[in-house]
Amino acid sequence: MRQNKASSILITVILSIGAAISFFPIYLAIINSFKTQGEMFKSFISLPTKLHFNNYADAFNQINLLNSTVNSIVISVIGIAGIVFCAALAGYKLSRTSGKISSFIFFLFIASMLVPFHSIMIPLTRMAKALSVQGSTYGLAIIYIGLGVNMAIFLYHGFVKSIPRELEEAAQIDGCNEYQTFFKIIFPLLVPITVTISILDFLWIWNDFLLPLLMLTDTSNYTLILSTNTLFGEYNKEWSLILAALVLTAIPVIIIYSFFQRFIMHGIAEGAVKG
Amino acid sequence: MPTKSYKKYISLFTFVAPAFILYAVFLLIPTISGMVYSFTDWNGLNRNYDFIGFGNFVEALTEDPDFVGSLLFTLKYVVFMVVLQNVFALLLAVFIESRRKTKGFFRTIFFMPNMISTIISAFMWTFVFAQVLPQLAEKTALTFLDQAWIGDPKVSFFSILTVSLWNGVGYMMIIYLAGLQGVPQSLKEAARIDGANAFQTFRNVTLPMITHAITICFFLTLNGAFKVFEVVYGLTGGGPGRSTQVITMNIYEEAFSNNFRYGYASAKSVILFIIILIFTFIQIQVMKRREVEA
Repeated sequence: MRQNKASSILITVILSIGAAISFFPIYLAIINSFKTQGEMFKSFISLPTKLHFNNYADAFNQINLLNSTVNSIVISVIGIAGIVFCAALAGYKLSRTSGKISSFIFFLFIASMLVPFHSIMIPLTRMAKALSVQGSTYGLAIIYIGLGVNMAIFLYHGFVKSIPRELEEAAQIDGCNEYQTFFKIIFPLLVPITVTISILDFLWIWNDFLLPLLMLTDTSNYTLILSTNTLFGEYNKEWSLILAALVLTAIPVIIIYSFFQRFIMHGIAEGAVKG
Repeated sequence: MPTKSYKKYISLFTFVAPAFILYAVFLLIPTISGMVYSFTDWNGLNRNYDFIGFGNFVEALTEDPDFVGSLLFTLKYVVFMVVLQNVFALLLAVFIESRRKTKGFFRTIFFMPNMISTIISAFMWTFVFAQVLPQLAEKTALTFLDQAWIGDPKVSFFSILTVSLWNGVGYMMIIYLAGLQGVPQSLKEAARIDGANAFQTFRNVTLPMITHAITICFFLTLNGAFKVFEVVYGLTGGGPGRSTQVITMNIYEEAFSNNFRYGYASAKSVILFIIILIFTFIQIQVMKRREVEA
């Protein structure tokens, strides 16, 4: 029993050290973002003597934070709404329709989940140019719908199986047509999986770097991540400014994380088990 | 009867069309057209191009040392990542699962880096590697911290691994935790009563019960590691020279640096796709067999 206690303490010590290392870069970014450049180079790990908010004000203006945040929100919201709408419709119908055509379409969606983004980025960029959706935030949001529906359809498809068919039959007897049945009866029942999908897609779209880099050309359209990337390139040595920008970029996801932690973790576990 | 099935298809069509059209335009058609162009010498501008068979593929794999170099570097990265990410994630999950009061706290802390965008993580760590660690080495006796963490490709490989692990372990840990929660307590207790120590219980009871989670995590880490881009882009930019260039960066460079070799760049993309497919297929086959045995 004593050995048990000792190993238990050892595990706690290991976890604590690991947690400290894990949190170290975030801690460093936060404390140094409140220091002046001079104070920072005296010591990176000491706490700031006085909170300087200047870095934040500068970063805020340099990356046009308000504008970039609005862009990121617009792209995420349209992208998620589009994915949920399109995928719920398709996932539901594909799950309820038997036959070869339905199975084949479902297979097409699922198989494409294996295609790495880097293998399609070249033709995708050309396609976006050809359709003149390149360089627009709305265009980018629509591309996210096209790239994101496959996984969402997969999750909806599985979830719909757990909903009894009798509900639809009852609604149809009551005079609902197919679309009314879907929107009034089925869609409300899909809320749990819709929450999962929305959170996973939010994290994907909000944090994505390469697709916006390829699609957005004008700085006024930049997402938060892209603006920070530009700032990093331009102000190579001004670490206090860069760190403030990094913290500002990370804050929205950390807030969402603190509120929806359970949903996020549940969503990952659930998404993984079904995949 | 024909009218009924006709109606069925109309209804299927209207429900599936919005998703399918966007999917076809932005995913299906690019996938197929990329494959078609990989067999051509198209420069991306002219209307005319010729089919040149496997010419692009042969050139990429035999006459392009940069591409082969990036491929080998990526393979090395994949091997390290698949092993380390799973070992760390599983260890953390087992340790955290054994805590009572601090379980939630540790889970929150270890998963947090996963929330931060990969490219932002790379920038944060650039600060740590380029500024903080050298200063720490100077001020304390920890002289080993004074390395060219980013400048020397031998060292920066481990810097890249560090950031990737920091960013990615939390995700796998969550999946392992979910797997561990599915292991019945009674089984572990039975093993303990039979005289098994903690390690034996883990090896013979827990591990066989979570093979499904292991399969999933290997699949995800394998897939993710081949597609690594942001960490390297943010930390070293592939440099110095092309010493830390990964395959995705090589494709990116070929495609968007105005070389005007669209067909050739497409061939490289297809090679990446095929490599991932082969490795994934082997991994799933091997691990599914184990799952059945267990």
